[in-house]
Order: sequence, then structure tokens, then C-alpha cells
Amino acid sequence: MRYETVIGLEVHVELATESKIFCSCSAKFGGEQNDHVCPACCGMPGMLPVVNKHVVDLGMTAGMMLNCDINRTTTFDKKSYYYPDLPCSYQTTQWFAPVAVNGLVDIETSKGKKSIRIKQIHMEEDAGKLVHDDWTDTSLVDFNRTSVPLIEIVSQPDLSSAEEVIAYLERLRSLLRFAKVSDCRMEQGSMRCDVNLSVRPEGSDKLGVRTEMKNMNSLTAITRAIEYEVARHIDAIENGTEELVQETRRWDDVKGKSYAMRNKETAGDYRYFPDPNIMPVVIDDAWYNGIKASLPEFPEIKRARYIDELGLTEYDADLLTASRAFCDCFEAAYEVCGSAKEVANWLISDCMNILNRKQMTVDELKLDGKTLGELIKLCMDGKVNRGNAKKILMEMFDSETPIDPAAYAEANGFIVSNDTGKMDEVIKAAVAADPKAVADFKGGKEKALLAIFGKCMKELKGNCDPQKLREALLKHIDSL
Amino acid sequence: MLITDKESFKRLQKLNQLALTEKEETDVLAFFTARNEDITALGAVDTENVERMVHVMPMETVVREDKEIKLFTRDELQKSAPESYEGYWQVPRLVE
Repeated sequence: MRYETVIGLEVHVELATESKIFCSCSAKFGGEQNDHVCPACCGMPGMLPVVNKHVVDLGMTAGMMLNCDINRTTTFDKKSYYYPDLPCSYQTTQWFAPVAVNGLVDIETSKGKKSIRIKQIHMEEDAGKLVHDDWTDTSLVDFNRTSVPLIEIVSQPDLSSAEEVIAYLERLRSLLRFAKVSDCRMEQGSMRCDVNLSVRPEGSDKLGVRTEMKNMNSLTAITRAIEYEVARHIDAIENGTEELVQETRRWDDVKGKSYAMRNKETAGDYRYFPDPNIMPVVIDDAWYNGIKASLPEFPEIKRARYIDELGLTEYDADLLTASRAFCDCFEAAYEVCGSAKEVANWLISDCMNILNRKQMTVDELKLDGKTLGELIKLCMDGKVNRGNAKKILMEMFDSETPIDPAAYAEANGFIVSNDTGKMDEVIKAAVAADPKAVADFKGGKEKALLAIFGKCMKELKGNCDPQKLREALLKHIDSL
Repeated sequence: MLITDKESFKRLQKLNQLALTEKEETDVLAFFTARNEDITALGAVDTENVERMVHVMPMETVVREDKEIKLFTRDELQKSAPESYEGYWQVPRLVE
């Protein structure tokens, strides 16, 4: 018998805010344990939540990027469960009127295009972190992550393979990074997903028993976990190896196996009810239209524009549009220097090399695009040679304060000299000092010229037009 | 979640971490059973085309700007903690 897999995803994304969702504590990742806490996020009695406006901004932005309808009156609810990493014994989330509903995301796989429906996006607070300590035989609680803002993106069960799940997650990550909703760093847990999966005979309209694997935060692990679960379900159905039950499971990536954690709760178990401490969030026209106007151009539209209008290759356009930071820098630099190809080369080659050496990702690029454009223009105009321009670029990465490329080049003697008298002087001295190289060159050894050229360039500290230097050198040798 | 019998009541107790005496159990179950009738009666009301009431108060929330403000130190907050250890709140071990 042939089977089909039915998968729905719940994707949690930590939002790029400075402070937490209901209090003003830092929402930064990491930090000393319990350093980003206050009475509100520690669940002290009598403390009341105050909604962070930017969380709603980002919830709406995510909704619009994923083609959702925005609920113009959106409300928060309490989801009750007891665990020490949740100090109030409930999570403040959205159940009855989430910020965004009924979206659609297009993905591309080896089998072609497919649309995945989004059921809803809701805003909620994250839980804290527990450390189980063998030395003291206790559990230790860190509330730094408590109340860090999240959105949960709930898909309809429209996915049917690991390949589709990965394509969907990559598409979400690209769109949300582009819109600066989140950095979506799976290794830091700022994007993680729960995989709801069942298997049924092909063509059947009845869903099989559903299991959920929680908190998956690596694409490789997700692929392996889905493949394992599908095989386990089919084995149970065909060979009766075990009874499939609706449950939450944990994926052990080292052992390559999933384990039962607990029976799956139903919505009723959480006893959702409207949070009486938070009045409805009403999104008026000005707020809604402001967010709509701030949406970025979609990456695939940008890519097409870079190729069709700016003449970049598909390869360059793909690399640039992989990151919003790259696109922003590229566009600002292009605006200043007017050469898309030059800017693409500097970003893809030189900037990428520096980022790699610094072990930074492209999203961490902080380079000011306008300044990069000024540097490239200096180089294009022949005012600074490429070698020295690279030194200035390195300084732009390292410096804590903004660098003005022209002023820096002037101050460090990097401006190409137009003093032909000095150039001639240096050429004469270099040629006189190396008669063998001159003889070899005249004898047909082209490479011999490079030695003299290098000495001249060194003597001039690189501050000359290489083409002019070469021409002058050849002219002098010819005259001998 | 309607509480209709001892079994569903036991589940509610477990979810809420409640330990009740036998007498309390009988009394509370009787209370819940009586409320079921009220809830069922409410369900009979025709709410077709009635806008959902999102909150009992006709108000909307205030929002704050996204700005980090540190108001308390860890030591201040942990003064009231029954147990703490190296900056963590300390609780009985949760997993074996």
C-alpha cells in the first residue's frame, strides 16, 4: 500500500525587539542568569503587563509578509499550565483573536510550486530556561527568556514531505529576515518549530494518528526526524509493531530516534480565557497603513530587478538577495557610485571575505552603504588604488567610529599621485638597479618586467595609477 | 471543558495541581455540575450575527515604546526567593 504524509508546522519566532513583550527588561539573547528580569516577568503578585507596541508592529509585519488578514482588534488570552519556567502558571498568548489569520506562503521544491496555507499568527511570551543540576539535585530557573516576545506561525496541514517542510521554513526565514521581524537564528533558538505529523493511505480523506515533535531547531534534525517518524508510523500501521497514540515526542538527534514525552494536551486542557489585565489592542487605519507602507520589496522581486534593470548576473543577484543587510548596503552604495557590478564585486568578494574572517554572518553586516559607495567611487575614479582601498575597507569594518574614505585616504597617503616627475625618477632608479631584469625582458621574458614594476610600485607606496606606471616603464625601457 | 463526572473533575484537579479532601471534592463537583446547566442554557441563545464581545470593558489597551529599562537587580528580586543558587531560583528537581 502507498501512504501519504500530512504535516502541519507551528513555527516560533523570537521578535527583534529591544525589550520584552509586557515589561521593559532587555530581550537580548544570553546574559548572566536572571539579569534581564523584573517583578513583572518574574510573576510577582500584583504586577501588570503593558504591551510593547513594536511587538504588535512586528506581528502585523509578519502577517502582511505572509499574505494574512490582520485582525484590527486583537486580544491576549491566558493559557494555563504549571511549570517552574512559567512564573505566572499561565502563558499570555492569543487564542480568540490572533493578530493575523488566513495567510498563504508559496514554496518551490523539486516537484514544483506549492502554496501552504497559514491558519494564524499569534503573539505570545516565551518561557524561561531550566537547568537540571546533578550536583545540588535540584532544578535551577533562569527567567531571562521569560516574556521575550514571540510570534507563533501555525500552518494548515498542507505539507507532505521533509523537502517541503525545509522549503517552507527557508521561505519563512527569508521573508521574516527581510522584513526585520527576527534574525531567525535557529542555533540560538530564535526560530524553532513543532512538527505535527500523521500518515494515511494514499487517497484517504481520513487523517491518521497525529504525533508532535517539539522544539526542533535545525533543518538537518527536522529532516531526519520527519523521515524517522514517517517510517515509524508506516511500520506501526503495516506490521502492528506498536500502537500509535496522539502524543508529544522528543527527537534525539544523536541516537536518531524519537521518544514519547507526554500525551498530547487538547486545547481544553489549557483552559484559555481572555486576559482581564490587557485590554484589546485596536489597530487604527494610521497604524495599519504605516506598517503596510514600511514593508520591504520581496526578495524575489528585488532579485528580478537586479538582473533586469541593473544587469547583474543571476549568481550575483542570488547572493545579494540572500540577506536584507546586503541588499540595503548594495542599494545605498550603488546610489553613490553608479556601478552595480562594482558594488556587487566588493560586497560578494571583499566584504564577504572580511565577514568570514571575523566569523560573522551576512546579516551582521553593519557597513554603511553610502560610505562603501564613496570608497568604490574613489577607486573607480583612480584616486585610490584597489590595494589601498581594501585597507580602508578593513578599517571601516574595524573602526568604532564612522570612516570618511576620502579623508582617511588623504590622511594616510593613499591618494594616487599625478606627479609624473617622481614616477619617472623612480622608474629610472629601478631600471638602473636591475640591468639583468631589463635584459631578460628585452630577451622575451615578459615576467621580468613584473619585478621592476613591483619595485617601482613599492617605492611609490602604491599611490600611482598602475596603467600609467606600466606605460611609462615600457617607454623608458624601449628608450634604452 | 465541562465537568460532568468524577473522572473529568480529577483531570481538572491534576491540571490545577489541587489536592482536595473527599468532602471538598463532593461539594466542588456539585457546584460545577450545577454550573453546567447554566452553561448549557447560555449555549441555547441565538448569537448569529452578534459581534463577539472581546472584553467586558469598552476600552482599548495602552501600549509602550520598545525601550529597555533596567529597574531591578537580581539580588533585589531574589530577596524573597525561598531558595536560590548562583543567581538561579532553585526549585525541587523536575526530571529524573
